[in-house]
Amino acid sequence: MNSSSGMLTKFESKSSRAKGIAFHPKRPWILVSLHSSTIQLWDYRMGTLIDRFEEHDGPVRGIDFHKTQPLFVSGGDDYKIKVWSYQTRRCLFTLNGHLDYVRTVFFHHELPWIVSASDDQTIRIWNWQNRSLLCTMTGHNHYAMCAQFHPKEDLVVSASLDQTVRVWDISGLRKKHSAPTSMSFEDQMSRRDANQTDMFGNTDAVVKFVLEGHDRGVNWVAFHPTMPLIVSAGDDRLIKLWRMSETKAWEVDTCRGHFQNASGCLFHPHQDLILSAGEDKTIRVWDLNKRTAVHTFKRENDRFWVIAAHPEINLFAAGHDNGVMVFKLERERPAAAVYQNTLFYLTKDKCVKSYDFQKNVESPTLLSLKKLGSPWVPPRTLSYNPAERSVLVTSPADGGTYELVNLPRDGSGAIEPSESKRGQGNSAIFVARNRFAVLNTSTQTIDIKDLSNNTTRSFKPPHGTTDIYFGGTGNLLIITPTAVHLYDIQQKKTTAELAVNGVKYVIWSNDGLYAALLSKHNVTIVTKTLEQVSTLHETIRIKSATWDDAGVLLYSTLNHVKYTLLNGDNGIVRTLDQTVYLVRVKGRNVYCLDRAAKPRILQIDPTEYRFKLALVKRNYEEMLHIIQTSSLVGQSIIAYLQKKGYPEIALQFVQDPATRFELAIECGNLDVAVEVAKQLDRPKLWTRLSTEALAHGNHSIVEMCYQKLKHFDKLSFLYLTTGDNTKLSRMAKIAEHRGDFTSRFQNALYLGDVEDRIQMFKEIDLYPLAYMTAKANGLEEECQSILEATGLSEDQISLPSFGEPLTPPKPVVPTFQANWPTKATSQSFFEKALLGQMEGLSLEEEPAAANGEAEEDGATKRDALGEAEEEEDAAGWDMGEDIVAEVDEGFVNVESGESGAGPASSEADLWARNSPLAVDHVAGGSFETAMQLLNRQVGAVNFAPLKPRFLEVYQASKTYLPASPGLPPLINYVRRTVEESDPRKVLPIIPRDLEYLASHDLQRGYDLMKGNKLEDGLKVFKGILHAVLVNAVGSAGEVAEAKKLIASASEYTVAMSIELERRALGPVDVVNRDPKLLKRSLELSAYFTIPKIEVPHRQLTLLNALNCAMRAKNYNSALSFANRMLANGGASKLLETARRTKAQCERNPHDAVEIEFDQFAEFEICAASHTPIYSGTAYEECAFDGAKYHTKYKGTVCVVCE
Amino acid sequence: MDPYSAEGELINIHNHFHQGQYQEVVDFDVSSLSPENALPAQVLQLRARIALGQAEDVLAEVKGAAEPELIAVRALALRALGRDEEAVKTVEDLLAGNADAADNATVQVVAGTVLQAAGNSEEALALLGRHQGSLDAVALIVQIHLQQNRNDLAVKEVAAARRWAQDSLLVNLAESWVGLRLGGERYQQAFYVFEELAQAPATSSVRSLVAQAVAELHLGRTEEAQAALDQALKKEPGYAEAIANLLVLSVITGNGVDELTASLRKADEKHPFLVDLAEKSELFDKAATKFKAKVAA
Repeated sequence: MNSSSGMLTKFESKSSRAKGIAFHPKRPWILVSLHSSTIQLWDYRMGTLIDRFEEHDGPVRGIDFHKTQPLFVSGGDDYKIKVWSYQTRRCLFTLNGHLDYVRTVFFHHELPWIVSASDDQTIRIWNWQNRSLLCTMTGHNHYAMCAQFHPKEDLVVSASLDQTVRVWDISGLRKKHSAPTSMSFEDQMSRRDANQTDMFGNTDAVVKFVLEGHDRGVNWVAFHPTMPLIVSAGDDRLIKLWRMSETKAWEVDTCRGHFQNASGCLFHPHQDLILSAGEDKTIRVWDLNKRTAVHTFKRENDRFWVIAAHPEINLFAAGHDNGVMVFKLERERPAAAVYQNTLFYLTKDKCVKSYDFQKNVESPTLLSLKKLGSPWVPPRTLSYNPAERSVLVTSPADGGTYELVNLPRDGSGAIEPSESKRGQGNSAIFVARNRFAVLNTSTQTIDIKDLSNNTTRSFKPPHGTTDIYFGGTGNLLIITPTAVHLYDIQQKKTTAELAVNGVKYVIWSNDGLYAALLSKHNVTIVTKTLEQVSTLHETIRIKSATWDDAGVLLYSTLNHVKYTLLNGDNGIVRTLDQTVYLVRVKGRNVYCLDRAAKPRILQIDPTEYRFKLALVKRNYEEMLHIIQTSSLVGQSIIAYLQKKGYPEIALQFVQDPATRFELAIECGNLDVAVEVAKQLDRPKLWTRLSTEALAHGNHSIVEMCYQKLKHFDKLSFLYLTTGDNTKLSRMAKIAEHRGDFTSRFQNALYLGDVEDRIQMFKEIDLYPLAYMTAKANGLEEECQSILEATGLSEDQISLPSFGEPLTPPKPVVPTFQANWPTKATSQSFFEKALLGQMEGLSLEEEPAAANGEAEEDGATKRDALGEAEEEEDAAGWDMGEDIVAEVDEGFVNVESGESGAGPASSEADLWARNSPLAVDHVAGGSFETAMQLLNRQVGAVNFAPLKPRFLEVYQASKTYLPASPGLPPLINYVRRTVEESDPRKVLPIIPRDLEYLASHDLQRGYDLMKGNKLEDGLKVFKGILHAVLVNAVGSAGEVAEAKKLIASASEYTVAMSIELERRALGPVDVVNRDPKLLKRSLELSAYFTIPKIEVPHRQLTLLNALNCAMRAKNYNSALSFANRMLANGGASKLLETARRTKAQCERNPHDAVEIEFDQFAEFEICAASHTPIYSGTAYEECAFDGAKYHTKYKGTVCVVCE
Repeated sequence: MDPYSAEGELINIHNHFHQGQYQEVVDFDVSSLSPENALPAQVLQLRARIALGQAEDVLAEVKGAAEPELIAVRALALRALGRDEEAVKTVEDLLAGNADAADNATVQVVAGTVLQAAGNSEEALALLGRHQGSLDAVALIVQIHLQQNRNDLAVKEVAAARRWAQDSLLVNLAESWVGLRLGGERYQQAFYVFEELAQAPATSSVRSLVAQAVAELHLGRTEEAQAALDQALKKEPGYAEAIANLLVLSVITGNGVDELTASLRKADEKHPFLVDLAEKSELFDKAATKFKAKVAA
């Protein structure tokens, strides 16, 4: 029996005594009716009081939510039943009728009915739609304490202080009040009759059973949701279980344990459990089938008055003297572990299952752990060991136990583990392939155990350790309430410590570099050396987390999936309607387990966090890709970018011109700013732009702004500083037009235009100033004319002394033609890409993405391989015993055969013994036998060209393992039969195997052919032949492939050597002059088209031959080549040439030079002489590559494969 | 109590030594050790220095020392400097002159190393066979067996050691060496051991990384092997074994090897890979000529 420490309290409120509780069926709400006449509506998830309803007078005892409508009902000691709307937050109406306290009120699950029980000894059924009393059920002869509808049938059960429980049949009432549409006449008649009997108040609701058994008053009674069972709680401190059939009901058993009045009881909605609460301050959980106590939760001071269950989820609530508590009976977090692409988890019925993330399929049950712990306690954690394919499961039952079991290779139904190892411990995790650590919190020790459950070492963890987690290889993360310790198991000491409060879970990133420490409200990200990277706080409880492959942590709270980057930037990914436990993220899918331990896939949009990640990593291509492919807009991302100092990127998302302008100014992108300013054309913007542009030194934009703003003075001054005299004079003219003399004067001053100034002064009748100006600048004539105009003489005016006449300096450099050196704008790569080379980049982008995919594929393939290997391993493991036995026998033989100690033959020698293939002999270093083999198999004699291949194979055969210090490394032999351990079957690894040759070398050869690099091509193809010659072929399929490869390489070799011979004849003009050479050349070009090479390449050879023939005016041959080209089809350009040639040749189908090439005859080319071997003539064939020779070459070395 | 056991004082320095973390061994604080452990610790440090290439200094340091352990170390230093004959003679003198020396665990291991390195496997085995519960000796015996391709004997030796020294690093290592030779599922097990060492920051060293890479290579996981080797070479660019294995890997994956051959030659001219290759190349030429002659006839 567990103590109260096992209680998982989710919510508690403080108030006066709580007499009634109701869960909302969908929302996280709970209604609490209090002894103080208040009804409270709480959000138990957030822990907030949503509303208070205070209309009752005196204690409120009964309360219930309607299943679908926004209604609830309450009944109080004021005899009233009130129906409320929680939307409008007021009482809709009151049902009056009871003559004493109302004890309970409940809605019917489908009909618009309410059942109430009252101290007036009646149970009444009301219709809340027409607000009428339907029926009053009398019979109890003491207070009726509780009355409830049956969840499906037309039954009511009631409990009373008269020590009985009564079951009432209300089918009559339903008949009477159901819709009268489909009623026959007889029905109606009987109805009327029934109605009449109703007058006596008996047939609507009749007592079906009276259950007697309690010795005191009965406080509560409840139906089982599915089975014909009833549970009741009474002042005799007993919980009684009753069963009923159609005709009778009887007591089944009694649960004894409460030592004070039992006030409430109910059936667990999903499990075979009974819960009861009593005035002895306990909540007790009983096994329905055995009627034994499973749990007891004790409270210090508060008597319990009522208990309620959530209809859907694993939540219960109990009301006591000082408020309400909402609690769970068991942890719902499913025990699970992820390894590569597989999730291992425990279902609710304690079965181990796996889930494949790639195929999205659930496995059948791998293993049943029914016997683990106690029946009503779910296991807490699961740790998976891929090396041994075993799981370590812990359960909190019996003070903490763990169990180590091997998983079978494939599950087929519920299998009990064949053997398992158990022990005491609160936490148990694998720390290495063959070790696990067990924490015992009561004794505060950590034991490191091997797989046979023997303790290999043991140590004391830091004080107050509550949990342990894997801490990277050879390390443990030890959790204490206030800190996390990184503990080195071997050195037995803490290597790092980080003060974090209340860590509950540790989640490692996929690459093992980072870990997320989850506590109730905090996520702390640390490196593998326990250095804090970032931390964040959540107001809502954090439930689980998992890492994205890119290093983003996704975590789930009660109602959200959120992400956080390593730098602490976080945000919401999506909302959740129910709590889930994340296990993995892959692309747009988040895999999680729900509360029922079912794997689920949630769709998410990872764009936002991927974008932010790309931003942090400055991966601009990725950002560009995201911007181009997904719709990433919204204020949040813009604000984020702006805040993070990337206004130029934010600019890309903004459509609103005003914001765009702000951003453009901020990042100094004047072009965009100008564009937007033009669009908006507001003086304020132009002013800001001018300031910004001036700061940048971009005076042409400044000029434009001033023009727009009509800031003539500023404009003039700008022209002055930039030395733009023409524009200055234009400014002067404009000033003149405007009649703005100040401006005109200023311009004239800037320009040093004295005449204009004098003219202006004269125009505004400031003759003295005009005269002064003229005088100062020594313009005597002007002086005179002014004097004349004013009718004064020089003597009549007194002048102050003049200084030197002022002339503005002349511009030296025409600055106005170009901007000043502008301030370097933050033209990031990103911006450039976006503004300039969008297309070019996007083109590049795709191959990159494709590569990525390919890589991914590769990766998955590798994973698959890894898995395959493991399976093999596991298989081997089962057989382990046998193999050892065999080896022992072998050992005996060896000893008797060979002398005692002494060195034995190495594995390399074994290879030669195990294999008839030359290549295996080569790898074993036995070159001579290899050569003998080749000589025998294909008649090879000239081995010199094979030397590189021989050495290549040999080089790949051994690795050097550094072993004991001071000694040379241990040599090991690399095998291609990785899974094989029988020394009679092992074979060496072969570099450049067939697949590699076909996919790499052959392709390279093709490329060289296409690129007209025939010498290199020849080498490559010969290399292929050599590599195939010295290679290993396993299956029939591989043999065929090898044959194809050989044939192809040999054809190419012949073809290329023909063409090379032709080119070796000499330069074109030399060949043309010598008729013999010309003939040979034409022949060779024709033969070049014969070998069976790939069609596109054949086209090239044909084109080559065609050109040669045309040049030599061999129109007939050319015609045949052209015809063949057209028959082959392919690239239109080539075909066009062919067609043209054909037309040309058909006019004169004659050959100028007679050649030995019969286009109609069947023939092969002799590889040595490059002359035709017509079909029917005898020939020799190379045993290896199939190259054909004239008989005279018999006995010589094949030139193709040498 | 065995000073190397899990509770012993020397556990950490000893583990460092066998994990190939020689610098850590040299830097290890030995002042706090109890007097009876001081000498073994000193020997470990000297051996580590020899492994780090400071054989000259070590030789100078132990010159004239009378303790049999240090004489053995002198032989080791001589051997590291290539003076094999002197080294063997030193060892033989030591063993002949001092009857107890042959029962000294440290002497057994150091002298055994010298003998084996000089090619006197029989003598080395005979000497090491006298050990009494020394894991160092067991590891060495295993290696000698493996070098002689007596996998069967190596398996037996490890199995025996496993029985009395469950969780020891050296047993794990020796088992992995054998595992890499036996293959099959043992590859994976060996890999786990090496990976555990190589990936934990406290135990990681160039040697364990190379060992991990070798295991990966044997498992056919070339990309992972490449990664591990790159990591090792980043730590110590001139480490001959890393280069040699990378070379092998490159051959397997079909990449060019000329550059690597050159750098290996630079790192260790007498590396078995090169010696062997030259030998085989010669052998090939010799064998090939035989066939040519036959054809011509």
